[in-house]
Amino acid sequence: MTGNHIPDALANRLATATPPKLAARVRGLSDKAIAWLFITPTMILLLAINIFPLIWTIRLSFTDFRANRTNAVVKGIGLDNYTSILTDPDIWAAMQSTAHFVFWTITMQTLIGFTLAYLLDRKFRGHGFWTTIILIPMMLSPAVVGNFWRFLYQPQIGLFNYIISFFTGVDPSSFEMIGSVTLAPWSIIIVDTWMWTPYVMLICLAGLRSIPDYIYEAAEVDRASTWRQFWSITIPMALPFIMLAVLFRGIENFKMFDMVNLLTSGGPGSTTEVASITLKREAFEKWRTGFSSAFAIILFVTVFGLANIYVKALNQVKSR
Amino acid sequence: MAEVILSGLHKAFGQTKAIQDVSLTIGDGEFIVLLGPTGAGKTTLLRLVAGLEQPDAGTVAIGGWDATTTPPSDRDVAFVFQQYSLYPHLTVYENLAFPLRSPIRAMKEADIDAKVREIAALVRIDDKLNNQATRLSGGQMQRVAIARALVRSPSIYLMDEPLSSLDAKLRGDLRVELKRIQTVLGATILYVTHDQIEAMTLATRIGVMDRGQLVQVGTPREIYTDPVNMYVASRLGMPAINFLPLSVFPGLSAPSAAKTIGLRTEHLKIARSDSASAMGKVTWVEHLGDQDYLHIDVQNHDVVTLSDPDSGLKTGDMVRLTPALPLYFDGAGNRVRA
Repeated sequence: MTGNHIPDALANRLATATPPKLAARVRGLSDKAIAWLFITPTMILLLAINIFPLIWTIRLSFTDFRANRTNAVVKGIGLDNYTSILTDPDIWAAMQSTAHFVFWTITMQTLIGFTLAYLLDRKFRGHGFWTTIILIPMMLSPAVVGNFWRFLYQPQIGLFNYIISFFTGVDPSSFEMIGSVTLAPWSIIIVDTWMWTPYVMLICLAGLRSIPDYIYEAAEVDRASTWRQFWSITIPMALPFIMLAVLFRGIENFKMFDMVNLLTSGGPGSTTEVASITLKREAFEKWRTGFSSAFAIILFVTVFGLANIYVKALNQVKSR
Repeated sequence: MAEVILSGLHKAFGQTKAIQDVSLTIGDGEFIVLLGPTGAGKTTLLRLVAGLEQPDAGTVAIGGWDATTTPPSDRDVAFVFQQYSLYPHLTVYENLAFPLRSPIRAMKEADIDAKVREIAALVRIDDKLNNQATRLSGGQMQRVAIARALVRSPSIYLMDEPLSSLDAKLRGDLRVELKRIQTVLGATILYVTHDQIEAMTLATRIGVMDRGQLVQVGTPREIYTDPVNMYVASRLGMPAINFLPLSVFPGLSAPSAAKTIGLRTEHLKIARSDSASAMGKVTWVEHLGDQDYLHIDVQNHDVVTLSDPDSGLKTGDMVRLTPALPLYFDGAGNRVRA
């Protein structure tokens, strides 16, 4: 033990030396003070752009305030805004088209997204390349996507009508995706599906990759057919991921605005007027600020409530 | 249950030859243990029998028919994986019922229920049937994994180190239980382990594997007393067999080809001796309670052997060693019989 002998003086110093707190070295600030110093800017920012507007909106929703008449006397009108919203058939129509839009985009994106993920999960040559190709739509700006799909949908020069006519034989100029009352909602659903299916696919792919190979091996030895493996292993084990994708897309599409505004602006008539378009019209065309604040609060509570119920279900599935 | 015959199996992964020319007949009702260190090819051999891997050459015959290219689901084998491989989203009950619910079987739900409860009781997890499979202790999960194999009556049970991730006490308990179950069911089992105690206690025959080859197959007693080479000899025995150059014992009448002498505890007579006839010195004594490990320095070779705690031998004692019917090996490490 003579080889690594520590001198007594050094040993003493090592034994008594306690590292000084970080704070003591930074101009006498306590650790707690430093923590606050770092957090405060973020908290101020959060209060200013999130919490304060929310509280202000709640306040405005009980008044007849109009943002284009700042000099008018603002009257508190209690729950009038809320009752007129909930009894307004136009609002209910908007909610209905939102629900229609959310339902079909989620259904199509989940089905197509999961199928693509399932196919890409096989380890074939070049699956990395195809994954990247499929992801491209999702990386584009919605403004770009909206504008070029407007061109694609053009009945005279658009590719979309020609492709449909190529496969079905229908005259390409005989129908108009954006202009028709029945087809306009579907034109938006198609674009949203085209753009966001890759996103759902990516989450589903992560879910499928998380299932270890040996589970499939065990199932195979247990004489489970591919079909049975799919339904009793793949689907249940990937379900939390699928549900997560549905949650993200559901919240996003509930407040969908950009694509609708670019493609149809709510038309023709009000057939594609989803809730966010109605909200924009009430707030910035009709300038009914109080009324639209109340509507915004209703939308917020609806999304928040639905998402909460959904997250509970998701946790239940996950904890299994 | 059925006889499984492996003949001339070869399997390579890239440059690595995992299995080289392995032939083995597993008789109906036999419990064969494949023993060998990590990387010896034990698991690969098991997976070849299961059909989870395809051999490059050779055949696998199960119950008299050639199953070499048959997919796992049609082979009627049961596999217990090292990492449990339970279905995490199912309860214990559903895990056990899973193989029985295979449409190939078309088993009635009442029969499934009866079978699941019978086997759960056999492996003593009947109180955990409604638990989530992943919310169990390691030992319980392993019982479920074994039970999931046992609910079926396959041609052969394949078990890949099913006890290796358990603590010593549990491993001991489950080992006894597994042997009991095998005796009760009369099951044919091919079992992989690197644990010599498991091999000795469970096997009707042991197959010792080394770098993809099946070096020797025999009863535990044969493998222990009559190993074909130094590698096999060193697989069994606690403490491990001691190998010494034959020159250490000049007076011995050994076979002419012998170069190395292999000495287990029972091959050695040790007596305290005066310095003139002594050949070794006790350098260390490990007290294990019921017995001692004796480390003896013999011409700079460390010999480890068991001794009676009452022998009175202690560190520094000079001893004389007399080999009694030892094992002889030639220069290549192969056994030379006297």
